[in-house]
Amino acid sequence: MNRGYYWLIIGLAIPAFLWLVPTLWMVSLSFQPNEVLARTTSTTLFGLIPIPFTADNYAALFSFGQTPMWFLNSLIVAVGMTLGVLAVSTTAGYALARLDFPFKNAITVICLIGLMVPEQAVFIPLYTMFADFGWHNSYHALILPRMAVPIGVFLMMQFFKAIPQDIEEAARLDGVTWLQIFWYVMLPLARPAMMTLAILTFLYAWNDYLWPLVSAQRQEFFTITLGLASIQSNFAQSEGLGRVMASGVIASLPVVVMFLIFQRYVVQAMTVGGSKG
Amino acid sequence: MKHLIIGAAVAATVVTGASAQEITLGRFFGACEDAGTDTKASVGEACIIQSIINAADAELDGISITTLPTDWGNYYDQIKASYAGGTPPDVHVMHRHRIPEFAGLGALAEISGELAAAGIDPNDWSENALAAVSYDGGIYGVPMDFHANLWHVNMDLMEQAGLVADGKPVLPTSPAELLEHAQMVKDATGQDYLAADFAQFPIGVRLVLALMWQQNANIFDEDTATINNEAATNAVTTMTQLFDAGHANPQLNYADSQQAFLNGEAAILVNGTWVVDFYTAEAAKAEVGLNNYYVADFPTLFDTGATWADSHMWAIPASLEGDKRAAALNVLAFINDHNIDWARTGHMAVRNSVLESAEYAALPHRDEYTGTAAIARDTPPSERYGAIQDVLNRELQAIWLTGKDVGVALADAEAEVQDLLDR
Amino acid sequence: MAARGASRRRLTQSQAAFVLLLPFLATYALFLVYPFFRGIWISLHDWNLLAVAFNPDAKEYVGLRNYERVMWGRNITWGALASPALQIIGVIGIAASIFLRRMGRVSKVTAIALGVASVLLFVLPGFHPGEGGRWYDRRFWPTVGNTLVFVAWTVPGVTIAALLLAAALNRETKAMTVYRTLFFLSQILSVTVVTLIWQIMFSPRQGLIANITETFGGSPIVWLTDERFAMAAIVITTIWWSLGIAMILFLAGLQDISKDLYEAAALDNATGPKAFWYITLPNLKRTITLVIVLQVILQFQVFGQAHLMTLGGPNDTTQVLVRYIYQTAFRDSELGRASAMAMFLFVIMGAFSILQFVVGREDVK
Repeated sequence: MNRGYYWLIIGLAIPAFLWLVPTLWMVSLSFQPNEVLARTTSTTLFGLIPIPFTADNYAALFSFGQTPMWFLNSLIVAVGMTLGVLAVSTTAGYALARLDFPFKNAITVICLIGLMVPEQAVFIPLYTMFADFGWHNSYHALILPRMAVPIGVFLMMQFFKAIPQDIEEAARLDGVTWLQIFWYVMLPLARPAMMTLAILTFLYAWNDYLWPLVSAQRQEFFTITLGLASIQSNFAQSEGLGRVMASGVIASLPVVVMFLIFQRYVVQAMTVGGSKG
Repeated sequence: MKHLIIGAAVAATVVTGASAQEITLGRFFGACEDAGTDTKASVGEACIIQSIINAADAELDGISITTLPTDWGNYYDQIKASYAGGTPPDVHVMHRHRIPEFAGLGALAEISGELAAAGIDPNDWSENALAAVSYDGGIYGVPMDFHANLWHVNMDLMEQAGLVADGKPVLPTSPAELLEHAQMVKDATGQDYLAADFAQFPIGVRLVLALMWQQNANIFDEDTATINNEAATNAVTTMTQLFDAGHANPQLNYADSQQAFLNGEAAILVNGTWVVDFYTAEAAKAEVGLNNYYVADFPTLFDTGATWADSHMWAIPASLEGDKRAAALNVLAFINDHNIDWARTGHMAVRNSVLESAEYAALPHRDEYTGTAAIARDTPPSERYGAIQDVLNRELQAIWLTGKDVGVALADAEAEVQDLLDR
Repeated sequence: MAARGASRRRLTQSQAAFVLLLPFLATYALFLVYPFFRGIWISLHDWNLLAVAFNPDAKEYVGLRNYERVMWGRNITWGALASPALQIIGVIGIAASIFLRRMGRVSKVTAIALGVASVLLFVLPGFHPGEGGRWYDRRFWPTVGNTLVFVAWTVPGVTIAALLLAAALNRETKAMTVYRTLFFLSQILSVTVVTLIWQIMFSPRQGLIANITETFGGSPIVWLTDERFAMAAIVITTIWWSLGIAMILFLAGLQDISKDLYEAAALDNATGPKAFWYITLPNLKRTITLVIVLQVILQFQVFGQAHLMTLGGPNDTTQVLVRYIYQTAFRDSELGRASAMAMFLFVIMGAFSILQFVVGREDVK
């Protein structure tokens, strides 16, 4: 590597550090006592180093905090939504990509036209619909609406289209049914695309704020985004800055850890999705 | 034999079926997760109310309560959404000014006939308290307090500026005097005279309202908005003169303005009755800047005394029935019984028996703001008061945060409030 | 093999397709198609959220009145110089698109897109209340304007930052992988964690920025309640947050560029910034367009940052469309009006989605 490369590394260190500072600051504040933080956040190195140190905020979170429950809800919703989206998208995506049936073109257009509709255009009627059926405050209320968005179908369709036709022809010659081909042949091949879709859906579910805000009115169904939002709007009335920051850290930690472990797949997935999408 | 067992099981279920009623309770006031159940030891609105709720959960047989705390700013959005979604909390707190909206739609339960059975005596409520929960001839809630705007005073700063007499702070009696005193504080101590949340919640609105009422004017009269007038302009300029002269910072939000006062960076904090015990506790701490703390009535700067006031009450949804309804009413009764504990926050109690008790009179600083009850005034009633307050908050913030012209802002506010009244 | 098939009914291709399509189509019809049309239906009614919840007959059909009350006004006229800055830019844009197309510098699609945008920029700001007139909803168009301003700052910010970073980090070494991870980390945080962090970062009393400013003797900026800085605050927050996926997309695009091109350029002594300008950028055009369109769609939907950090203020300077829709529906209980605004949002986003589709198609050939 030439000298230019080393200058690059050094030059990038500062922006990288700056980019990390907000997160570092949150972590540091979460380890400082609330009484100190109420007066000043700048005790040591602008507050970036947690001195005075305390683990009380975290202890409090786990003994009587709502954060673990919110976190669990987010996890259930995210996993449920991911599985649901994968299920409907792989099936529909394959059918639209490779099978022949009457009105195929019309149905394809109908399915994909939904790509134009953003969440915000339907959240109000969805809200009234779910209210009429008494479905709010439930996991299915939080999971189902997103399964209807055709982005997953589109992604899987693109992927399946790119697979050479010989595989199916060979299988058909062997007398394998279409459904068997889908299950035993296509799905395993589709793993990279499924990974992409799974990651995108999981992140979307984890991040969703607007829909849970209007649908989940009971705390036991608050997702982590909702829960954190409800404690951050007025610090003067909450238990203290340190505790709130600790909630934020707990909210993010598992996702960050997951990302660090799977990051190769995430990047791969994004790459595959990006160049095919 | 099988039938016997099944029969026994069914019987057992029926008997124990009237087991724990799960009551959901919606409130703001903030979160306090380690409140415990000792209602005498808690400090601050959040912890006191949560300790009362926890105690109710523990002491009321067969009732378990789940609290749904929400932040103050979004509370009514969530309550409305939950009513519209068919799952309102079984018991929830409300402000008096929202009753016309909710009771008018039939959302709240009319409970005048059921109070006695639950152990609540409406005759013990002060006259104003009873009026506060009444609408259209019925009773729609159990009152919990009156709260009003006060002037929280840092006596040390006032003393340095020479504004203390007889152990009481010398407060202005006109807008001109207000500016004078502010200058005195600035000259003597270098600190701001006054702090308040002008940037976030409608506290600035309440200030302006009080000043308008002091001039015998109001923001609307039946169906006509009366905002673009001299009284409102006077009220607004009373405040902006402080901003312009640098004696108050309009950009601080609730938390920041409170912190400024506690740090000793402002002589006066305009806030409500709900923080008296909190500030008392803070002032007692050595490391907190505030030391000598006094609670004063909102001073009269114009013709008559007036300060913004509202009332908290607890209501139950009209859709609640049977055992659940009875259980919810029991919870309301419990809260009513602990009125003296809630009054410890600094709020004014609603029960005559409490108001006349020695314990109440002995609460810290209570004798300093006895005048408040007399000058407390309610906001004018309207189904759309929430939206009206939002309009005022926006326009007033436009004036002191973005320099919008007072006349234009008041005219815009009047037009929009008129729209709301017309709908 | 025949035996396996004989004992069970074998589905034809159409039947198999039906089985495979059913789950999605059912969900789709129920949770997207039906609500979409119902949304249009709601927008044609005067619908108070709470009143109708208690009494289903309380809603009233009013046709297009909601749209009129939201987007129109009394005595609205049009003038070619009502909003001179924007309209002149619009005219320049129209001229530019014709000129560039004539010169063959841009593709037909880009020229058309530029042309349409410029025409809109010329026509729309020309509407204003005439004598004694007023907009019925004084907040709607400024809110749309704020959203556009937000998008106009955020999208270039994210795109340029992501592009530069991707170019800098496009090497397969340990250090580069670490850096890539660091910069991507902010993207996976949930929106309310991001607003939590930055709300405190910007606080004039407790914030990190304030702490640093005070140490160096300055007086802290009150970011979130100062109309000059509130928009900047949420833009900075969003750029910090949204960098990740854009960066990854650029990295993918960069990897598609053949190394030979760079080697050939190096022979001509074109390395570093020159190579970036003459080789990287032209070959990245498709990715850049894709990233831009995706970011526009994403940032147009901004809600959390405005709702939790600035509360749409001060004085509505950061009030954005989605927040206004939410408040109209759940604070003011006006479902009909909110639905009308949501339809407006759909039209805009739909247009961009079509644009994305067309752009994506165009380069495949």
